[in-house]
Amino acid sequence: MKLLEISHLKKSFGDLNVLRDISMSVSEGEVVAILGPSGSGKSTFLRCATMLETMDSGSMAYVGDYAVQDVDGKAVYADKATLHKLKNTFGLVFQNFNLFPHYSVMKNICDAPISVQKRNKAEVEAEAKELIKKVGLEGKEDYYPCQLSGGQQQRVAIARALAMNPKMIFFDEPTSALDPEITAEVLKVLRQLAEEKMTMIIVTHEIDFARKVADRVVFMDQGLIVEEGRPEDIIDNPSNERTRAFLQKMK
Amino acid sequence: MKKHMKKLFLLLAMISLVAGMLMGCGGKKESTESSSSNVVKEEGETFIVGFDAEFPPYGYKDDNGEYVGFDLDLAEEVCKRNGWTLKKQPIDWDSKDMELKTGAIDCIWNGFTINGRESGYTWSKAYIDNSQVVIIKNGSGIEKLEDLAGKVVVVQADSSALAAFTGGDATEENIKLAESFADLQQVSDYNSAFLNLEAGSVDAICMDYGVAAYQIEARGDVFAMLDERVSSEQYGIGFKLGNTKLRDQVQTALDEMNEDGTLMKIAKAWGLDESVCLGDKGTDSAYLQDAEESDDSNLVATLIHVVEQLSSGMIATLIIFLCTLACSMPLGLLICTIRKSKFAVLQAIAKLYISIMRGTPLMLQLLVVFFGPYYIFGISVPASFRFYAVIIGFSMNYAAYFAEIFRAGIEGIPRGQYEAADVLGYSKGQTFWKIIFPQMVKRVLPPVTNEIITLVKDTSLAFALAYTEMFTLAKQVAAAQASIMPLFVAGIFYYLFNFLVAFLMGRLEAKLSYYE
Repeated sequence: MKLLEISHLKKSFGDLNVLRDISMSVSEGEVVAILGPSGSGKSTFLRCATMLETMDSGSMAYVGDYAVQDVDGKAVYADKATLHKLKNTFGLVFQNFNLFPHYSVMKNICDAPISVQKRNKAEVEAEAKELIKKVGLEGKEDYYPCQLSGGQQQRVAIARALAMNPKMIFFDEPTSALDPEITAEVLKVLRQLAEEKMTMIIVTHEIDFARKVADRVVFMDQGLIVEEGRPEDIIDNPSNERTRAFLQKMK
Repeated sequence: MKKHMKKLFLLLAMISLVAGMLMGCGGKKESTESSSSNVVKEEGETFIVGFDAEFPPYGYKDDNGEYVGFDLDLAEEVCKRNGWTLKKQPIDWDSKDMELKTGAIDCIWNGFTINGRESGYTWSKAYIDNSQVVIIKNGSGIEKLEDLAGKVVVVQADSSALAAFTGGDATEENIKLAESFADLQQVSDYNSAFLNLEAGSVDAICMDYGVAAYQIEARGDVFAMLDERVSSEQYGIGFKLGNTKLRDQVQTALDEMNEDGTLMKIAKAWGLDESVCLGDKGTDSAYLQDAEESDDSNLVATLIHVVEQLSSGMIATLIIFLCTLACSMPLGLLICTIRKSKFAVLQAIAKLYISIMRGTPLMLQLLVVFFGPYYIFGISVPASFRFYAVIIGFSMNYAAYFAEIFRAGIEGIPRGQYEAADVLGYSKGQTFWKIIFPQMVKRVLPPVTNEIITLVKDTSLAFALAYTEMFTLAKQVAAAQASIMPLFVAGIFYYLFNFLVAFLMGRLEAKLSYYE
């Protein structure tokens, strides 16, 4: 089953065509890594997919329901209620974590399920404790974000996304703001999620990680998908000149 | 704990410093009294006349911006005859005794009533006989003094009209009359008394005859004077107690002017010839008395008495402060929201509002709020509106400042917070109240503390609407006691108040510093 289907997504800022024509679909349980040089449009693509940016044209459907439809080359968004419902199907983990600084770890994770999804408080809290354990932050429930390291904060952010029980999670360069030595603790959590068959779309610069974890690698450049396929094909044996140049630089 | 001790020490040091200054004031009084203040003024010296610049026709500012008036013309002539240079010094009526005591002025010459103040000054002979009369708005139906029962009557603070009703020498008839009023209010100047009368917030003004006659002529037939009079009284020139030498110089010149007809000529020019009484029998008792200043009783008793007298003002100030805070903060948040609105029109309205509120004096805004309903819409305002006008005026002004502080606080919050909330499905309201607002509060605490401290001190501006808060009361008490101590007590009150505010805000800031 396709969890996400995007076709002919176009987006420009003024005269700058950031996304020229992107089509992509993601199946349940699939881990997709998006690679590409900076300025290639990866982040804008993620922001359009998570509806933080509006697309100019193209269509997008979550779990078979349209969030955006293309009408005569113009993107038309669904009504508020539908969008609110569809937003519930995915989570997003930011490069800069964006935790709520005035909330404790526990409250960061529990608040949205309780006050947005209106779920039972005790149940959410029990689940949150499990998630905290899962991301390796046992005992930090009452800490505030400012008392945690970057890697710990990012793991809280992952737990926060998971607490909403999404069908898929987007990751926007989840390790770029971290020191190299603590990148591993975050990647470990991602690998664990992949093993549990969590559907994930990850924008990353970690080539090794992408090769080991991703089912599919998508290489973007200049607002287009240049190449996509199995990681061993794309990373070890790229057919496109630009992909090769990029991978060369990353090594 | 240590920090608190330090603050406490600072406070004690401050209090003892002020106490020391008070003692200093008390002690100094006697020494200067006898030595330096009773001297003859030589030719070529400057003679400084203190007067209330809003008291026509005795002394006021004319259309050309010059200080003119009957008393000033007399002073000019006296100076000419003594070879002095006249300096016309407009003063705040409430501060007249301090002006005189410190030697900042040589005399008070300003339709200055002798009756009831005989022992407070060294007096010239009475030169004008004046009576207290009642002014009403034409067509109000008030014809006799007894018609004033149940009405609101206004007088100038520390005026002879006030003394006629409530002073120690007030006649029983007048005390009874005053008791029949719905309210006897005080204003700081006659201009606002007439504004109040015209606006309908008071029913009658009681004031000096000479001033009343002039005002009625100047303001047309809107107002009328009752035939019945409240009291009669005399005007003299007030000198610092014991300053008989200067008084005698002035008196000699005045007597000469009376004999050669100059005095009458000047009086005629101001329409006061009927009131002149210099040389009349029985009008120079105060002049002959030559009162000496008696020493004040002990300092602590006086201090306690002053604090008691000021306590109602302290409560009034506290109420203004709390009501303003409670109204202006939510209003500020609302204006901030409008200012950040997506609609350009709303945004422009909020911008204009903020720019006007920040760009014009608060005192003017208070006057507009109070008198605006009458002068713009013709709605007469009840006396009870005074308090609400103060709160509305303060709140509207402070809301503008708070709005800008809140806006800066909100705009400083990173974009990512909104995006995280959006992705988690928070509604706009939830995002604001759960995520943005708490972070904004923490960010704006220091500038808000500043604003609150300014508000404590700004409450004294309520005097513009004759609302008797702490500072107005302190000035009135200071004038009545001819002492500067009430003002020091007021100063200590404001300092302690702000000390408490700063302390509480500091605690709040510490409490919110659990993150970042």
